[in-house]
Amino acid sequence: MSITLDQLTKHYGGVPVVNDVSLDIGDGEFFVLLGPSGSGKSTLLRAIAGLSAVDHGRIALHGRDVTHVAARKRGVGLVFQNYALFRHMTVAENIEFALRVRHMRARDRRARRQELLRLVSLEGMDNRLPAQLSGGQQQRVAVARALAHKPEVLLLDEPFGALDAKIREELRRTIRQVQRELGITTVLVTHDQDEAFAMADRIGIMNLGRLLEMGAPHDLYSRPATRFVATFLGAANLILARRTPDGIQVGATTVAAAERATGGRENEVVAVVRPEEIEVAARREDLSSGYLARAVVDEVVFTGALERLRLRLEEPAQAPRLAFGDGEANAALQVTRTQHEQRGFEVRPGQQVAVGVRRVHVLPTPLSSFTACAPGTQLAERLSQQALLAELAARMKTRIATRVEPQLGLPEARCQGEDTFVGTTVIAAYPDAAQRAEWLLRRGARDLLVLPDEARAPQRVLIHWIGEASRSATLAVSASLLRHVPAEAVYVGIFPAQDPGAAASQGMRELLDARSEAQAAHGLEMRTELHFGEAEEELARRLAESPAQMLIVGVSHLTDFARRFRTLLEGGRWPVLIVHRGTP
Amino acid sequence: MSFRQPSILPGFGLTLGFTTFFLSTIVLLPLAALVLAGTSMHWSDFVGTVFSARALGSYRLSFGASLLAATINLVFGFIIAWTLTRYDFPGRKLVDALIDMPFALPTAVSGIALTTVFAQNGWIGRYLEPLGIKVAYTWLGVTLALTLISMPFAVRAVQPALLEVQRELEEAAETLGAGRLTVFRRIILPIILPALLTGFTLAFARAVGEYGSVIFISGNLPMKTEITPLLIVIHLEQFDYQGAAALGLVMLAISFVVLLAINLLQAWGRREQVRVMR
Amino acid sequence: MAAAQASAFGTEAGRPGEHTWVHALVRWGCIATSLTFLLAVLLAPLATVFVMALSRGLAAYWHAFQDPDTLAAIRLTLITAAVVVPVNTIFGLSAAWAIAKFEFRGKSVLITLIDLPLAISPVISGMVFVLLFGLHGWFGLWLQAHNISIIFALPGIMLATMFVTFPYVARELIPLMQQLGNDEEEAAITLGAGGWMTFFRVTLPKVRWGLVYGMVLCNARAMGEFGAVSVVSGHIRGLTNTMPLHIEILYNEYNFVGAFAVASLLTLLAVLTLIVKTLVERTGYRRR
Repeated sequence: MSITLDQLTKHYGGVPVVNDVSLDIGDGEFFVLLGPSGSGKSTLLRAIAGLSAVDHGRIALHGRDVTHVAARKRGVGLVFQNYALFRHMTVAENIEFALRVRHMRARDRRARRQELLRLVSLEGMDNRLPAQLSGGQQQRVAVARALAHKPEVLLLDEPFGALDAKIREELRRTIRQVQRELGITTVLVTHDQDEAFAMADRIGIMNLGRLLEMGAPHDLYSRPATRFVATFLGAANLILARRTPDGIQVGATTVAAAERATGGRENEVVAVVRPEEIEVAARREDLSSGYLARAVVDEVVFTGALERLRLRLEEPAQAPRLAFGDGEANAALQVTRTQHEQRGFEVRPGQQVAVGVRRVHVLPTPLSSFTACAPGTQLAERLSQQALLAELAARMKTRIATRVEPQLGLPEARCQGEDTFVGTTVIAAYPDAAQRAEWLLRRGARDLLVLPDEARAPQRVLIHWIGEASRSATLAVSASLLRHVPAEAVYVGIFPAQDPGAAASQGMRELLDARSEAQAAHGLEMRTELHFGEAEEELARRLAESPAQMLIVGVSHLTDFARRFRTLLEGGRWPVLIVHRGTP
Repeated sequence: MSFRQPSILPGFGLTLGFTTFFLSTIVLLPLAALVLAGTSMHWSDFVGTVFSARALGSYRLSFGASLLAATINLVFGFIIAWTLTRYDFPGRKLVDALIDMPFALPTAVSGIALTTVFAQNGWIGRYLEPLGIKVAYTWLGVTLALTLISMPFAVRAVQPALLEVQRELEEAAETLGAGRLTVFRRIILPIILPALLTGFTLAFARAVGEYGSVIFISGNLPMKTEITPLLIVIHLEQFDYQGAAALGLVMLAISFVVLLAINLLQAWGRREQVRVMR
Repeated sequence: MAAAQASAFGTEAGRPGEHTWVHALVRWGCIATSLTFLLAVLLAPLATVFVMALSRGLAAYWHAFQDPDTLAAIRLTLITAAVVVPVNTIFGLSAAWAIAKFEFRGKSVLITLIDLPLAISPVISGMVFVLLFGLHGWFGLWLQAHNISIIFALPGIMLATMFVTFPYVARELIPLMQQLGNDEEEAAITLGAGGWMTFFRVTLPKVRWGLVYGMVLCNARAMGEFGAVSVVSGHIRGLTNTMPLHIEILYNEYNFVGAFAVASLLTLLAVLTLIVKTLVERTGYRRR
């Protein structure tokens, strides 16, 4: 493995700008780190180069641990966005700099320099000064300079940011060519998805300091695993659908019969439908793909090769719920059509059309939407506007529904049968939260968030599960949440305090298992801690130690729930997300 | 091009008129008097005054000490500018503000204070005395005083240049394998060289004409510790206006030549780069 | 990025492999050298002023200011400053307006002339006025005939001080006004404002901090000017001695407490000037 990063973390002002990032890059691979501004990708690159120290984790280059090695001894070549050429030196002197430092003879230096100039197509420019070169030429010199000392790894930090579109394309090709010719492992950082697609062997997508997904460009585009990646790599319509025994039910229709629900249970899922996979026709019968709903054309925008449409879905009650919309009235679908499709069926604003879907991809994410639940309408409204909840919903691009449960909180409330709960139920942290939570869980709520009014985005999330049945689901929910919150993830393993000696080694094993499962199956990096005692007490104690924390706890059975969780849920000082899988 | 480009803003005549009037009366007229007085002497008198042993001794001191002071300020001024821009330590902001003190402090105050500190029983002088180093009333004291008053010029010339050196250049050099010393020698120094030269020039120019802070610490022994400005004052007190003017012209001429030389040096440096470009 | 925008201080710390003892040595060496140098050359003299002034106790310190000659010197300095600073300010504003707002031939000559006093030794600055108005000067006989004294009297002192300090306000305002541009003034004119109104309501508020700084600096240099005034003043006690000259006299008479007492006043003025400078810079105004 050419580059190995292991749980790399860097804090800046208390916030992790690089949050537990682990990855492996192979020899000769062209790897692109893609993400929006502030995602930590540049910081990560600089850490690999040795220009920033890291707070935790390991960096290995070609098997050599370089975490504490100075930049100049790492054998990397770095290309900056603003070229960083030495303005007082000629092109030749710039390129030869690394060789001069290594005391190479003038004759050898010259030979190497000529070789590099040929490589980047700048022969004859030896005696120019950087000020006399165009932006594209300067960047080529920067690349040649970075390669002079035959580094093992080439790093590029948004190298095309300062150039215009045409030059950018040219340079992309040059760099890709150079990289292939030299077979050098390369990492390029960018926020431009087109660039990533054009150049990468593999792409790693970062957001809020975390590495969300990694894979070949085509795989990431057609089968994203997270909301963020789906909407970042091109436009996407996020639709809330139900996974039923018959398949995915979007609105009134069932599509993608291949993905059925198992275990007879229905649940809400998020489906991704790309704008180019949507078909419009005059009537349902004219559609060649699966019918979705009827819609009215809101807007038609001509952009040359493509036509962009905005459709407003009719029949809100039956229509598929769009995950990202400000209420039913604004549910809009994005569609792109080729010239060929336009010629087949012209549309105008205001026109009624039938909408069909060619391809649907269901995200494996368990957190689909939020439902604020309270005894009265006003309370439910207020709860749905709570700061942390609103922030999470905005980040996850999903909606907050409200649900009134008049029985909630009444002491004599009996649990009569089950009900269907959609998405993650949210209740406020009343003094009798534990009782209310038990009531809802017994009625069938699977994910329940107890939210204090003053709760804000946590800096640390504790993860624990009681009983094996909820383990996988808890990890999945945690992974999903932590993709949208820049916080530290810590798995708290708790063992009964009877025999610390023997339990310690077993505990360690348990921690390692948890960590590797989180990593492998859910793409979640977590720290681990071992405690001894009663689970609920230990968790409460750990949470009380510092502010800005949150707990995700999985439960497998509800016996005696209210009593067990009283300390954790009452007092309302921290948000608790309960993941219930198992017997009621 | 006509005298001035048209503009809708008013006040040109008024402001230019007043400015020109002011400058003429306050600057041009007196300078004309200087030139006239200095050149109205007989050639032999002129040479006699300007090249007298006493005058030569004063040139040696004034210009020599100024050059030395400017050089000292080049070195220490650089170190101070580096420390202020690169390192953080308690009281940095205060120190930064204090650098301008010699600029704001009256020269007479600097003069008597320095003399007191470096006199034989002064706070610092008493430690140097047993080592055989006499500061007060020697050329060393003159150099010290000149170093003090020209120090802000050196520091303030180098500071912005240091701030301008992009971090990325140093980082690039480091990833290419350069150690800190190499980075300093090959990257930082060439970039701040013009500013260093400018700082040296400004410090020198300031030091050459200095009067107030020097006459207390110098002791004013003719040919040993007498600076040229003092010699001019002595000629004036003896009503030898022409002699004084002659010396003044010589001072201006030498300063002018030195400044010109340094400017040419800077321009040559830039031209070298231009030549390479062709 | 927040992390990448770390100040220059980040260069010297926070990188792997950078915490060797060599780096620490260089760092502390630089700091120590700088502080020692400044201590000897700057702080020791400053402290000496106050220590010497108070060396015979507070009573002797106050007593020094009751000497009539000292009071006269203080009065003279204040009067000089009170005349010189406003005149130089008007000149500075006028010159800055002409130079920054208009394009005309000979601008660089004007700027060179404005910078001239800073390049000339103060002694020469004073001497030129002696050459003009002294007994054997150009106007010497005419002045004597009309019984007007310029040299060895207040007008001469004022002229010499004016010569040495007039660039300060102008040099602050010219680059500032050039940087701020003409757009706002031109807008005001097109809206119907007259020249004076534009100046007072548009330009002056824009440049107020530079103006304040320039005036404060001009004042400090005017009150503290020694060389030029020394040449034109005649050193007549009680009549033509400014504070700096009086310090010289007291010092040469070995009246150290007196000399340093007066010096302490000027030092406090210098400290005040620096404080004003710091405050002005806090408002965001940055010198070129």
